[in-house]
Amino acid sequence: MIILDKYILAIESSCDETSVSIIKNGTVEISTVVLSQMDTHANYGGVVPEIASRMHIENVTLVIENALEKSGLTMDDIDGIAVTYGPGLIGSLLVGLMAAKTLAFVYNKPLIPVHHIAGHIYANNLVKPLTFPLIALVVSGGHTELIYMKEDYSFKRLGGTLDDAVGEAYDKVARVINLPYPGGPLVDKLAHEGEDTYNLPLPLDDDSYDFSFSGLKSAVINLVHNEHQKGNEIIPQNVATSFQNRVVEILTKKTMKALKDYDVSNLIVAGGVAANKGLRERLSKECLEAGVDLTIPEIKYCTDNAAMIGAAGYYAYKLGRTAGLDLNAKANDELK
Amino acid sequence: MKYLFIDSATANLVVAIVIDGKIVYLYDNNDGNDTSSKLMPIIEKAFNESGISPKDLNKIFAVTGPGSFTGIRVGLAVAKTMAWATGVPVVPISSLEVIASSGKEDNNIALIDARRGYVYAGGYDKDLNVTFKDAHVFLNDSNLSGNFISYDNFDFDTTKPNIDILKVIKKHLNDASVNPHELNPNYLKLTEAEENLKKKNGSKDK
Repeated sequence: MIILDKYILAIESSCDETSVSIIKNGTVEISTVVLSQMDTHANYGGVVPEIASRMHIENVTLVIENALEKSGLTMDDIDGIAVTYGPGLIGSLLVGLMAAKTLAFVYNKPLIPVHHIAGHIYANNLVKPLTFPLIALVVSGGHTELIYMKEDYSFKRLGGTLDDAVGEAYDKVARVINLPYPGGPLVDKLAHEGEDTYNLPLPLDDDSYDFSFSGLKSAVINLVHNEHQKGNEIIPQNVATSFQNRVVEILTKKTMKALKDYDVSNLIVAGGVAANKGLRERLSKECLEAGVDLTIPEIKYCTDNAAMIGAAGYYAYKLGRTAGLDLNAKANDELK
Repeated sequence: MKYLFIDSATANLVVAIVIDGKIVYLYDNNDGNDTSSKLMPIIEKAFNESGISPKDLNKIFAVTGPGSFTGIRVGLAVAKTMAWATGVPVVPISSLEVIASSGKEDNNIALIDARRGYVYAGGYDKDLNVTFKDAHVFLNDSNLSGNFISYDNFDFDTTKPNIDILKVIKKHLNDASVNPHELNPNYLKLTEAEENLKKKNGSKDK
């Protein structure tokens, strides 16, 4: 039997990265271009949705062209057009979505809608093929989710954040201790230089798989404010360590509980916060002890990129999960 | 000659295919929302009913604004991607000129409500020569006068547009086309975040 290679061209524009990628068979990255807007948004202390949308429309065709050129392929070689339809910033999503629909129409290719979180999970497929059943911990600036997968493209959401995403809490804590945007990675760095001296609460320490980080974030804000009022200097390293320890503690605790409850021995971690050293170290240790096979993709696949959308898109395509030209973007949508 | 015309800058969505000086397909409906879902199926229908495909086009006329920021981008993402994919030349068009195309007088002022007392305004004579350059203005300070045309409602008399696409296309038939990568929105307005940053930096300089 001859198995023909399938090439997916994928577009991701859900937040502040315009990215296009060409992926073979859901596992091999042929080419990826990521145009990050981070430097622009840093001027505003966070992503400004309207500015993000404006930058996406200015760059979308350039990024498509560059990714295609880099791949050495032509549109004739492409079997389907995958695109992030949500969740994300609606104005940003729409630019990638309309470009994808136009490509699908002009070249008469299947249009494959991909959920952003499915993308983050399938980023791991570019490292090594997913082994089922598995638990996925997706942690980023916009998401904190625990997902159970029995097989390819079957997603059961066990829980997620009830308020701030974990990366969002990191960025806010960074701001309170005067670190520049995006401060999350800097908090992680500082956390390795300090000590756990501040009495911060362990957030939503219950039997559910849900998370809550706004209380912890507020506790840090209050702590810094109160110390300031008393005329005491805060020690940023120690704030970072104390905060990170609580975050890592609860993420690890609930993830390990999910693995045990569902009798699963494969864990994948995805999303921008998967780059967090504290989280990686702690999960590696616990997984080793519990005999769980842990996969964390390299950093370039953790942050938003179209390669992961192309990887997920391949499996959606194989299952016939394609869409018509009336496909719309969704700011919020459950992973199904 | 075969042309595609797309205008999604206002609540009035327009898609037209013109072949040899005749409109062979026209969608021109002030039915507002959900442009992102509707636009591509309408375009697909436009090509099917006209019996041509995108690569057969000689030119794409794409409205670049002003108007709804998101609306502009929805149409332009299609226009620039299609132009890039097919190599068909693309020409930018003003949404205000499209609105003004229904005017029969010497000074037709097209208006789009930009909220909080502001409007996007552009003045055109009956041959679409500019009489007042497209701008984002505070209505009460603008001294605008003429034959006001708008889809929006104001507390003074305006006429509803009855747009003349052939007139707009004819006016711009010999315009230089732009590189699809550089076919970008003409918002006529900074984002609020940019305005605030400008103010902040301005006050710092003083």
